[in-house]
Amino acid sequence: MNKRRLFINLQKRMNVWTIVSLTGAAVILLPILYVLSGLIRPANDNWESVKQFLLTDYVIGSLKLVLFTGFFATSIGVVLAWLVVGYTFPLRKWFRWALMLPLAVPPYIAAYTYATMTSYTGFIQATLRNQFDIHVTPGTIEVMSTRGAVFILTLFLFPYVFMIAKMFLERQSAVYIENARLLGHKRLSLFFNVVLPISRPAIIAGLMLVVFEVLSDYGVANYFGVQTLSTAIFQTWFSMYDVDSAMRLAAWLMVVIIGIFVLERYLRRNQQYNTSMKQNKPLAPKPLKGAAAFGATAFCMIVFLLSFVIPVVQLIVWATWTYEKMWSADLIELALNSLSGAAIATFVILILALLSAKTVRTMSSWPAYLLTKLMTVGYAVPGAIIAIGVLAVCIQLDKWLFPIYASLGMGKGMLWLSTSLFMLLAGYVIRFMATGYNAIETGYDKIPRSYSEAARTLGHGPASTFFKIELPLLRGSIVTGFILTFVEIVKELPITMLLRPFNFDTLAARTYQFAIDERIYEAALPSLLLISISLFSVLCILNIEKEKTK
Amino acid sequence: MTYVSIKNLTFRYNKRQTPIIDNLSFAMNKGEIVGIVGASGSGKSTLLRIIAGLEQPEQGTIEVDQKMMMDDTCWVETEQRGVGMVFQDYALFPHLNVADNIGFGMHKLKRSERKQRLQEMLELVQMTDYAKRYPHELSGGQQQRVAMARALAPKPSILLMDEPFSNLDAHLKANIRKELLQILRRAGITCLFVSHDQADIEAICEREFCITANSGGNFCSC
Repeated sequence: MNKRRLFINLQKRMNVWTIVSLTGAAVILLPILYVLSGLIRPANDNWESVKQFLLTDYVIGSLKLVLFTGFFATSIGVVLAWLVVGYTFPLRKWFRWALMLPLAVPPYIAAYTYATMTSYTGFIQATLRNQFDIHVTPGTIEVMSTRGAVFILTLFLFPYVFMIAKMFLERQSAVYIENARLLGHKRLSLFFNVVLPISRPAIIAGLMLVVFEVLSDYGVANYFGVQTLSTAIFQTWFSMYDVDSAMRLAAWLMVVIIGIFVLERYLRRNQQYNTSMKQNKPLAPKPLKGAAAFGATAFCMIVFLLSFVIPVVQLIVWATWTYEKMWSADLIELALNSLSGAAIATFVILILALLSAKTVRTMSSWPAYLLTKLMTVGYAVPGAIIAIGVLAVCIQLDKWLFPIYASLGMGKGMLWLSTSLFMLLAGYVIRFMATGYNAIETGYDKIPRSYSEAARTLGHGPASTFFKIELPLLRGSIVTGFILTFVEIVKELPITMLLRPFNFDTLAARTYQFAIDERIYEAALPSLLLISISLFSVLCILNIEKEKTK
Repeated sequence: MTYVSIKNLTFRYNKRQTPIIDNLSFAMNKGEIVGIVGASGSGKSTLLRIIAGLEQPEQGTIEVDQKMMMDDTCWVETEQRGVGMVFQDYALFPHLNVADNIGFGMHKLKRSERKQRLQEMLELVQMTDYAKRYPHELSGGQQQRVAMARALAPKPSILLMDEPFSNLDAHLKANIRKELLQILRRAGITCLFVSHDQADIEAICEREFCITANSGGNFCSC
C-alpha cells in the first residue's frame, strides 16, 4: 500500500513543469560546479608560477576594491537615503528619483569618460591651464589607479544602497524614528543610534549587491590597470592561453564569493527582513532650514552631477564631434546584434522563470526554497566565472557530440557548440536568471492561490489554468521582468567579451574596444545609446517603486 | 441512499504534528444541505479542500455519486472530480467579466449549450443585467452569487462552500442567507457548507455537524 501511495505522490509532483524547472536549475548549476571542481583537479606547471607570483596581488587587488568601494558606496548611499527620507530641503522630491539615474551608466563607460576628462589633454586640466593658468601636478586628479577605480565604482554603484535603504526607511521606520524624536534624539544622535541600527538588514542587502558587482567587474579594473581576480581570469585565458589556470583562478574567486555569502548570513543571523504587507504609516520628514537645507541640497547635487550629469554631458559633447563618422551601418548592425542576442536570452530566461515559479508554487516549503536559490545563484557569480564554466561544459559536450557531428557530415573534430552563439546565450541566461525570476515570482505572489484552485475545481488542468488564468494576470510582471533582464544583458561586458563567437560584436563589446584602443570620442555615441537603453530599466524600477508605495 | 461517503479520513499538514483531521467518517444523501460549524483552525476548510482534491490526506476513502475519488489505490485529480467549490474569497478571476467567469468551467460543452447554460445560471442567481461587468464592479453579495453560479454551471456532483458569508457586512447577512438557500433549493444540489457562525448553518442547513480543534477533526453533535 505504501509503495502505491508513494507512486501516487510522485505522479502528483513530477509533472512536465517540475522536470523542466529541475533541468533548468541543473543547467544553471553545472558550469558553476564545473568551475569549483577545478580546485580538486591536478594543477599544471603554469599554475605554480601564477600562484607564486600573482595570486596574492590579485586577491589583494580584489579585496581593496571591495572594501573601499563597499565602504564609500554604503556611506554615500545611506546618508543620501536618510536625507531624502528624513528631511525636506529644496529639490528633495526630485533627488528621490534622480539619484537612481547613475544606475543607467555602466561603470566601464564612466571609467573611460572620467579617465579622458581628467587626463592632461582632458577638459578639466585643459580648462584650468588655458583659462586660469593653473598647472596641475601630474597624478593629482588622474583616475588611472586603484583610487580611481574605487571612485568610479562608488559613484556608479551607490544607488543600489540608496535605493534599498530609502525603500526601507520610507516604509518601515516611522514608528521607531518618531519615538526616538519624542525621546529627544536629534540629527546625528538619531542617525547613529536609530537610523543606522534599524536599517542594517537593508544596508547589508544593498552592500552585497555592490560587492557582487565589484567582484564581477572587469571593465573598470582592466581599464585602470588594477589587478583583480576577474581581470586575472581574462589575462591567463587570453594572454597566457591557459584555460586551466584561468579556471583555477575562477574557482578561487568562487571561494571568495561563497565566503561573502556566509558572512552575509552571519551578519544577518538574528535579523529577518520585515516583509509584512501591513501598510505602515510613512515617516513625516522634518524641514531643514538655512545652512542645513543648503548643505543637504548641495551634497545631493554634487553627487548627482558627478555620477550622472558630468559624464553624460561629456559623452554628448564627444558624440557631436564624431556623430557623422559613427552613425553608420556598422553601428546599426552592432545595435541589432546586441538587441537580438539580449532578446533571445531574455525570452529563454522568462520561459524558465515562469515554469519554475509555477513549480515552486505547487511545492512544499523547503524543496521550493532550494529550487529558488538554485535558479537565482547566478546573480552573485561574476561573469568571468560563468563564462569559463560555460566554455568548459560546452567543449565537453562537443567532445561527446563528435560522432553526431561526423554523421551529419560536419567534419571530424568539429567544435560546434563552443564556437556558436549558443555559448554566449547560455552565459547570459545563467547570469541573469535571477533578475527575470524575481520579477515573475513577485508577480505570482500577488495572485491568490485560490484563483488557480478555483480553475482546477472548474475542470481545468495545470496547463490550461496557467494559460487562461495565471499568464494573463502575470502580464505586468512579465513586461517588467523582460525590461530589467533585457537591459542588464545589453550592458553586460565580461561574458560578452569572453564568449562571443568570432566576428560577433555587440554595442557593449565594441564600445569597450574603442576605449581600450584610445578611440574615446568614437566610443561616445554607442555609449550614449547604451545609457539611453539602460534608462528604460531605471524608469521601470522607479515605476515599480511607485506602485509599491501606492 | 448514501450519495457521499467519507470513511476513516486522516490528515496532517506536518508529519511531526498531531492530525488536524483524525479518522473522520460521515455520509450525506442526495440533495441534502449539510453544515459544518467550528472555530477557525479546527480543520473544517481542510475537509472541503480534501474532498475537492486540493489536499492529499494520509488515509481514508472518499466516494461521491458512486464514483471513487480517492482510496489507497486511486487518486482522482481535482480537475476530474466534478466537484464545485465556492471559495472564502470567491476567487473570481479579475480579468474576466461575469459571463466569462461563469462560462469558465463549461469549456467542454458545445457553444450553443454553453450559451443556454450561462443564461440559466445568470437567471438562477439574478445577475442577467450584470453579465458584462467585471468582479471589481460588483458588491460583495453579487460577487458571492457569481461565484455560486460559476461553481454550479458545470453541474457538479456536490457543491462545497467555504465560509461564504465571511466577506459580507453583518446587516446584509439575513437577506443573503435567504437568497442563498433559495438558489440551493432551486438548483437541487447536494451541498456541504462550512461556517464558524452557528446562525449561518441554522438558517441554511438541514443537518449540521460540529467540529472542534481538540477533537482531531471528529464531529460531535451540536
